[in-house]
Amino acid sequence: MPDVLQNLSEEMAGLTEQIGASVVRVEARRRLPASGVLWEKGVIVTSNHVVERDEDIHVGLPNGSTVSATLIGRDPSSDVAVLRAEADLPVPHWAEPETIRVGHLVLALGRPSERIMATLGVVSAIEKGDKLPAGMQIDHFLQTDVVMYPGFSGGALLSAGGRVLGINTSAMRGISLTIPTSTLRRVVETLLAHGKIRRGYLGVGAQAAKLSSSVAQKAGQDHGLLVVSVESESPAEQGGLFMGDVLLTFEDTPLRSPEDLIRALRGDYVGKAAALKIVRGGEVHTLSVTIGERPAR
Amino acid sequence: MVSALRARKQMAMSVFEQLNDRLGSLAAEARRSLVRVSSGRGWQQGSGSGTIWHSDGLIITNAHVIGRGGLRVALHDGRDLAARVIAADESLDLAALQVEAVDLPTVQLGNSKQLHAGAWVFAMGFPYGVEGGSTGGVVIGSGADLPEMPSNGREWIALSLHLRPGHSGGMLLNSDGKLVGVNTLITGPDVGFAIPTHIVKRFLKDRIGVMEAPSTAPPQRESVVIL
Repeated sequence: MPDVLQNLSEEMAGLTEQIGASVVRVEARRRLPASGVLWEKGVIVTSNHVVERDEDIHVGLPNGSTVSATLIGRDPSSDVAVLRAEADLPVPHWAEPETIRVGHLVLALGRPSERIMATLGVVSAIEKGDKLPAGMQIDHFLQTDVVMYPGFSGGALLSAGGRVLGINTSAMRGISLTIPTSTLRRVVETLLAHGKIRRGYLGVGAQAAKLSSSVAQKAGQDHGLLVVSVESESPAEQGGLFMGDVLLTFEDTPLRSPEDLIRALRGDYVGKAAALKIVRGGEVHTLSVTIGERPAR
Repeated sequence: MVSALRARKQMAMSVFEQLNDRLGSLAAEARRSLVRVSSGRGWQQGSGSGTIWHSDGLIITNAHVIGRGGLRVALHDGRDLAARVIAADESLDLAALQVEAVDLPTVQLGNSKQLHAGAWVFAMGFPYGVEGGSTGGVVIGSGADLPEMPSNGREWIALSLHLRPGHSGGMLLNSDGKLVGVNTLITGPDVGFAIPTHIVKRFLKDRIGVMEAPSTAPPQRESVVIL
C-alpha cells in the first residue's frame, strides 16, 4: 500500500503534468527562453521583463511544436505582458489566492526547455502592494521560497488543489514573487481592451514635507506633499493647484510620500473629477481636479 | 499483524506526522548503505560520499571524490576500510570502488528513467563532513536539455534541494526510498544535479561487466515461502 510520502510525490508529479499542459515556453529574449501560462483561449500571460522584443515572439507548446505570437500589451508596473497565440491548450483553473495561507505548500511550474519543470516551496508571506518599490503597482502579492530555476519567470504557481494562483516573477532580486490572479485579471482585461495600461496624470512635481503642528492638527496627518512644480496646461494647473500648495489627500487617500500619489493615480480616474485636500496659507481647502491620462513615455 | 498495527498507528497521526514518520524511517534505512569516502593525507585530505552498490563491497561514487589517492571508506557500522578504484571515468564523473567486505546492506534501485518533474526526492551524504546529512525537495526536470547545463548529451536530474560540498557521490532517493541518482554538483545554493542510476548501470556494465545491483529486493531470511 503506498504510504503518505509516495502519495504526496505522485500527487505533485501528477499536478505538474496536468497543469503543465497549460504552461508554455516564451521565446522573446536573447538569453534563455522563459515561461507563460494560458489565461484564456489564445491569450497567454507572462512576465514583462522576459519579453525583451515587441516582434518575432514565439511560444513553445507542450506537444513540442512552436507557434508565433503577437504582443497584445505590457504593464511594467505589474511585470505582466500579454501575448496572443494560436494555442489549443486547456485553460487552467485560475484561483483567487484568498484561500491560500502562509505555510501552504505550492509548486512553481516552468517550461524553459521542451519539457515541464517544477520546484516546490511554501508560501512565505501574503503582502500588500505598498511593500513594493515605487513604480510597481500590485494590489497584493505572494512571496514564496520556491526556487526560480532559470526560465521560470512567467510560469504558474500551483496550489495543492491544482489551482493556478498567479504567475511567478524573479524581477525582484532574491525574492520569489507571485503576481496574483486578481492583478492579472485587471491587467489582462485592460490590455485586451486598450492595448496599454492607462495611468492617471496630475502634472505636479511634489516632495514629502513635514507639516507644522498647527496644520498637522487641522489636517489630521503629520506629512503631506509639497508641490514644487506645476506643468503648464496640466490637470493640476487647470484644477487651480499652485506651487507651494501642500497635498494632503487624494479622494480621501492620505498622501505622505510621492509613492502614495503614484499609487493613487489609477487609470480608472482618467477623465473623472477627483477631490484633492490641500493646505494653502495655513488653511485646509478642497479642490476638484479632472484627472488626465499620463502620456506614454 | 505488524502492518495492521502500523496502519492503526498511522490513522491516529496527522498527515504531517505521517510524512515525518516515513521520512525518518526512509533516512534511517538508507543510511546503512551510505559510506564516507576519504582520500589523501594531511592538508590534501578530501572527503565525499558513496553508496554501497553490491553487498560484496562494490561502492559507487563521483570520480572527483577519489582524486588524491590513499582511499578509505567508512561504513555505517563503524568499520574504516582501505578501498581501491576498479573503474573511473572523469567525463562521466563516476567511479567504482572495491572494499574487502561481504554482506553489506544495499539500497534498492529505482527507475531513474521515469522521474517526473515535481516528484519528491531525498539526498543524503556528508555535507561539510556532517554524517548522513539529508536534504529533501523535488525533481525540477531531467534529461540532456536542461537550462544551466551544457548541451553535450549528458543526462542529469535537476534538483530543487540543498546539496553542499561533501554530498558528492552520495545517494539520491525517490519517495519509495529507492536509489535513483548520484549527487554530483550544484549550480547555486538551491539547485543541485545528480547522475541518474541508469547511467551508473551503463558505466558499470561497460567497465566491469556488472549488469545490475543484485539486490532489487533486500534478502529476507526470516520469510518462509510455502510452495
